This record gives sequence, structure tokens and C-alpha cells, in this order.
Amino acid sequence: MTCDPTFTANDFKSDLKPVWCPGCGDFAVLNSIYRALAGAGCAPHETVIVSGIGCSSRLPGYVETYGFNSLHGRALPIATGAKLAAPRMTVVAVGGDGDGLAIGGNHLMHAARRNVDIAYFMMDNEIYGLTKGQAGPTTPSGDKTKSTTYGNPDTAIDPCALTIALGATWVARGFSGDVKGTTELMTQAIRHRGFAFLNIISPCVTWRGEDQHKELRAKLRTVPKDHDATNREAALRYTNEGEHLTTGVLYQVQHPTLLDQLAGIEHTARGKGSRPKREEFLGTFQL
Amino acid sequence: MLNEPPLNQEVTLSIVGSGGDGAVVAGDLIAMACAGRGFHVLKTEAYGPQIRGGESSSIVRIGSATAGPLAAPPDVIDALVAFRFADFARFRSEMTLSDRCVVLHEPDDPPPAEITDSACRTFLAVPFGELAKDAGAPGAKNIVAIGLLTAMFGLPVDDIRSAVRRRFRKRDAKIIDANLRAFDRGVAHAGEWPARTKRMADVTAPAHLLMSGNEAAAVGAIHAGCSFFAGYPITPSSEVLHLLSEWLPRVGGTCIQTEDELAAIGAVVGAGFAGAKAMTSTSGPGLSLMSEMLGLASTAEIPSVIYNVQRGGPSTGIPTKSEQSDLNHAVYGSHGDTPRVVLACCDVEDSFHSTVEAFNIAEEFQVPVIVLSDQLIAQRRETVDASKLVHDLVERRIAIPMDEVPYERYASGTEDGVSPMTIPGIAGGMYQTNGLEHDELGRPAAGFVVHERMNQKRYRKLEAIAKKYPLFRRFGDDRPELGILCWGSSAGTVSEAITQLQASGARVAAFAPRILAPLPIAALQQFIDSCDRILVVELSFAAQFHHYLRSLVDLPRGQTNVLARSGGKTLTVAEVVAAAEPLLKMRTLEEVLA
Repeated sequence: MTCDPTFTANDFKSDLKPVWCPGCGDFAVLNSIYRALAGAGCAPHETVIVSGIGCSSRLPGYVETYGFNSLHGRALPIATGAKLAAPRMTVVAVGGDGDGLAIGGNHLMHAARRNVDIAYFMMDNEIYGLTKGQAGPTTPSGDKTKSTTYGNPDTAIDPCALTIALGATWVARGFSGDVKGTTELMTQAIRHRGFAFLNIISPCVTWRGEDQHKELRAKLRTVPKDHDATNREAALRYTNEGEHLTTGVLYQVQHPTLLDQLAGIEHTARGKGSRPKREEFLGTFQL
Repeated sequence: MLNEPPLNQEVTLSIVGSGGDGAVVAGDLIAMACAGRGFHVLKTEAYGPQIRGGESSSIVRIGSATAGPLAAPPDVIDALVAFRFADFARFRSEMTLSDRCVVLHEPDDPPPAEITDSACRTFLAVPFGELAKDAGAPGAKNIVAIGLLTAMFGLPVDDIRSAVRRRFRKRDAKIIDANLRAFDRGVAHAGEWPARTKRMADVTAPAHLLMSGNEAAAVGAIHAGCSFFAGYPITPSSEVLHLLSEWLPRVGGTCIQTEDELAAIGAVVGAGFAGAKAMTSTSGPGLSLMSEMLGLASTAEIPSVIYNVQRGGPSTGIPTKSEQSDLNHAVYGSHGDTPRVVLACCDVEDSFHSTVEAFNIAEEFQVPVIVLSDQLIAQRRETVDASKLVHDLVERRIAIPMDEVPYERYASGTEDGVSPMTIPGIAGGMYQTNGLEHDELGRPAAGFVVHERMNQKRYRKLEAIAKKYPLFRRFGDDRPELGILCWGSSAGTVSEAITQLQASGARVAAFAPRILAPLPIAALQQFIDSCDRILVVELSFAAQFHHYLRSLVDLPRGQTNVLARSGGKTLTVAEVVAAAEPLLKMRTLEEVLA
């Protein structure tokens, strides 16, 4: 990861106009990303933003970096390949709750346990917006949506509880309306060595209405200053709370990243010898 | 020379037993030793469904050192070592014993009536277990069997002793000695039987490598400069993952095992986007999962290589047996108009070349390339010359962005459709790539005009590839009466059938495309037009290859026959000859009247 303070938030703005609805929480998230990339000292040409499919997955086009708007649910495998192939790049994955928890849920599990050095920003609006209003994995149980006419029969996932359990080494929650707070969390996530997961509550005015925004805002509270973020049990206490929604860094530990592990493997595999010659590989097949 | 007894061109030996009998090890040792001596060898293995133990078999075909490489597994077996006939019964449908087959078996396990029906077969009772115990190596009845076969068929004694030593090189010297004693017991025991049906000539020829198609593909990946591999275990292609997990870190590359095939190809596409030469390997079920990412790699124009070993399908099918039924999926799979390249390898050495060519085409033309192998090529071992494992490399064209003009990642005006790409890290080369249809700058675009223009751009690459890579094999007569169209592992069997048919005076030839998409249409049509009659040969019940050909070239009406059957059993030379003969006897009305 490079540190180049010469770039400002404006340097990360592309001239493409977002397709999002007026009042969408993702506008504020986008503003936070500009500031966080600049604040973390990233250079636009050394940054890769990978997304899946969904409203929020349109985001890479609005940021002036290398961008990849890929397939529904597949941002993390692509981001993993990009990071391993170009370790010097800052790799950020973005997407929605449906993209990351439903169709891409399996990849989230494995990106987290591998501790691959990616910052993953999940814009959580509790609904499928791009396909116009179906229930998602974070939609509260009982909610009536276009696909749950009589009420959502499923239980909602708390993405922070999930990723803490999966072994992510940095887990936080933010609220899109709080640009300053979200920017600070994003900056920390980018700087974290390892898999950093940021759940950003980003209300959907079109499919969840103004009420959702108000309800969520009313539940917000910040994590207490004396919270021990290295304590997994303590961190989990600020998840699945029901009446509250706690923002801030919930969990933070240091473990070797996937790149650290691969460097160790390369060291072991090479031993003291130099790069093996072709004859050495072919010798495997000879008496 | 005239005074020497006549020597055979080749011999085929088979060893069958239960887990722990060492049937497969015995086949390996014989094959390795004969390859080291300069004989050509082709070895296949078969197993029961058990994960450990259970029945296993090994068939080793040993060919002359002076003739060319062996093109196909043998139709019939000259000698069978059956440690237990109950195990042999499991493979009965896949093994045909020759009429003069020599069968070695334990004295207390008499041969079943179904194989004693041929009067010319020789049945010899050998106390394998007892001989091994006497030698001080009770577990080495397979080594005793090797000794017998060595003496009876004139296999190279010294090389086999070396192979035994190499096999146990990490073990105690006492164990090596005991195994060598077991080998000598076997050799001595054979002295009791002077009747030798076949015998290999003693030769001194340069040593060959002995490798499988999967191994050759891994060597190809290293040769091509592959720096990133992501894979998910699947039979019968996992050996590529195994070898590259060992080799890539040694050459500064990266190999990861992912959570599924979606992630494997996803990581490959991400790495390709970031500038790596990247590859995954899989088999049918995995290829199905990779379809969506194939479409993304195609439209986002990201170099990526998928090595796919075909097995019996559909669904889980028959994981351990060969078939040629992934063709439709490889050439058509994925929604939308999705240009991709499909290569097909014909044998083990070709697995190396196809893999390197796949990287060359993927990198130069920014397309996903599928290499289609099949279980018979991928998991059999055959002799390969190290000197043949070389292949020129082609590298990706990297764009140099200029300050004055915005960088057009998908510039659509180039003649061959290729728009040079930047990679992350290059200043001024930033762009957004997209699974959405996009304009020259990579911005999402939903209009017809851009969609049409971009489809043209992407498909122009296939035209350029077709021109540069009309890859095929043609063998047989220059002016054939009958032309055989085949691909993949069937090509080897067809080439042997052609040799046999030509020996009886038939004018017959074959054409096997090594690139299925884009198909070398001009060369193929020219071949078809030069033949009176056509026979299509493939291991697909639904005749996928035949229908694919029908969609792209003109096959002569009423003069085209098809030999298409399910996989699960190796295609034999006899089958191809039987299908070809009636077509050779057919005469046109004019000929009959003349």
C-alpha cells in the first residue's frame, strides 16, 4: 500500500453521474470514499475498486481509480485475485447486502478466513433495490416486500456478527448519513493489514421509505470509548442488538495476511536454492 | 540379425489386484523402466469407487524403441497378472485378453470359465505371496510379478532394478535389498517356462520422459510463464492443482485453492485484470459453474485460461472415466453472444503445447481460452521427448496512455479487435471494466449502437485468431477415399486404425482439429471435399461433435456416417476399423456400372 498525500478527495471523483435515486444513502458513502482514499494516502492509479452487481455496485464507475464492476456476488474472488497478482495495489471491494451476504455469501466466508488484505465496504439497505424491492438477507423478519407479500419468513443476518465469527480481523459498522464517521472508519479499514469489513447502514428511500431512515437513525449509538475491540465476546455484544445499532470499530486484531502466508510458502518452497531450471521440473518424470 | 529369433514390436501387460497388492505400483515401475530404456510406453490405470483400498488395475503397453510413439491404449492384453480374479471381474468389461494371452494367478485362485474358453491362452499358477515371503519381503508380491514379466517378455532387467531402487530410495537399505531379492525370485521362477509368446528387442535408445496429460499441462503452464493459479479439487484434473501448488511458489508465482469453481475462475479473472498470466483447471461440473465468469472474461476482455478435463457426464456422471461430451458447453456455454477460444489436445505432449498456446492466445487477444482434454489423455502416462517440450511465447500488448487524450480501454477501431490494455499501477491508464455492456472508455452503455459495435469488436478477434491459429492434425492418405473426422483422445485411436486400414490397401485419412473454436473451417472443408465419404468418430452419445461440424461445414449428404457412443469405455482401434470398413466397400453407382 502506497502513501501519497499529494492526492485530494477531488482527484478521486470521476465525471460519471451516479444512477442512484435522489436521497439514496450511497451518495454519502461515495463522498466518504473520496475522502478516505485521499486520507489513507492512496494514489488513484494504484487503487483497484471491485464490485459485484446491485445499486451500490455501480460505485467503481464514480471513482477515478482502476475499477471493476463485475458479477453478482463475485467481487471478493476477483478482488482476491487482483490483490495477489498486484500486491502493491490498494484493493477495495464494495457492494450491497444481497450481493455480499446472499449470492456471494460463500466468498465472504472464505475471504474473511483467509485474511486477504482487502477493505470490503458493504452498503446495507436491507432490500434489493436494483431489482425493485425484494427482501434481502438483512431485511427484518416479518417485513412485507414485493417478494414477501405476507411478511418476510426469514431471519435477518447481522453482517458484523457474521464476519466476526468468520475470522475477519477488522470489523466495524457505520452510518452513511455520518460522512465524517464513515470516512474515518473507511480510512482505518484501508490501512488495516488483512481483511477489513465495514458494514455501512445506507437507507433506501425508494423501497424502504423515509420511515426506515428515521427508524435506523433513532437506533444509532456509538461504541463506548472503553470497548476492548480485541475481545471477540465483547465485540459480539454490539451485534444483533435489536433496539440499538452500534457504530464504530467493533473488532480489531492482527493476524498474518494471506500475502504473509504466501510469502512464507514461497520461502519454504525455494529453500536456499535459486529459481529451478526446466530440467529440474522435467526430472520428476524420469527414471 | 538374421540369426536372431523374431522379436515383437510391442507387448501389453496388465496387473490387477486389491488395495495393498501394489498392482498400480507394479505398472508404474515397468513403465518408468521401459521409458528410461528408450521404449515407447503408454500406461493407463483404473480403480474401483473406493477412496482407499478396493480393486485397482494397471495396463502398460510397451512399444518398439525404433517406431514412433504409441498413439492409443491397446485393444487387447498379452499378459495378465491377476492377484485375485474377483478383482479382475470388476474390470472385465474394460479389458480384452488376447487369444494367446498368458495369465498368471495364485495357485488357490483358479481362473474363471469365462476366460479359459480360448484354447490358446496359457494359465500359469504362481505362488506370488509365498515367493515374496521367501525373499524376506512379504508385501512384495507385485515385485515378484514384475520379475516374472521381465523374464518372460524380455524387459530391461537393469532399468527395472533401478526403478525398484528409486521407488524405495527413502526407505531402509534392507527394504530395498528385500525387494530386489523378490524381483530376482520372480525372474528365476519364470525360468521354468521356456514358452515365450512375445519378447521385446534389447535396445539402447535415448531415455524418454514418462508423464500424464495433467502433468504435461502443468509443465506447459510453467513454460508459458503462468504466475497465478487458482483451483478447486475435482477428478480427473486435480493433479494440475497439486503440481502447481508445489512448483509455482518456487518460480515466484502464486497458487491458491479456492472455496469453489466460481471463486477459482473469479480469482483468475481478477489476477488477469491485474496483469498476471492466470489459469485454473477443472472438469465438467466445474466448467458448468464457471460459465458466468466465462461471459465476464469475454466481454470485459480479460486474458484467462481454463484447462478442462472431460469426464463422463452429465451432472456428477462418471468422474473417473473419459468422455467427449463437454464440447457443447465449452463452445457455447454462458448466456449472450460470448466469443471464446476452445483448444483440444490430442495426446500427452499436445497437452503441453495446447496449454502454452492457450496462454499465448489469451494474452495476445484478451480472451478466455478453454483447453479441452479428457480423462484418457489427462491421467494416462506416456513417453514424451524432453526436446519436444518447447514452444514460442506471445506476450500481452500493454497500452501506453498519453496525457492529452483519455485512455480508451476498449478502443473499437482496431483491425483485429484487440485494444491494448493497461494494468493497475500504470498512471493515466485508469479505466473501469465491466460486465455491463460498455463504451470505448469502459462506461456502462445500454444502447443498440454501442452494443453492436462492441460485439463486432469482440468477434473480430475470433477472425484474427482463426487466421493465425488454424490448428489441426491430419494423418493418412493424401487422396483419401474415406475421411475420418475426430478430436481429442479419439484422434490417437483413429490414427492407429488408419495405419491398420492402410496396411490392407485402403485410402483413408483423418482430420482432427486442435482448435474447436474458432474451427479451422477452410482447411476442414477442403479435407472433407477431398474425400468421397466421411466418418465422424467421437465419445458422445448425443454426437455433439458431429452436430457442431454440421453447423459450420458441409458434410456430404448420404455419404456421412457417425460412430458416436457413450464414454466410460475406451474407444478401440477395432471399433473404428469396423465402422470404416463398410464405407470403404461402398461404391458409387458410376463405379459399379463401370
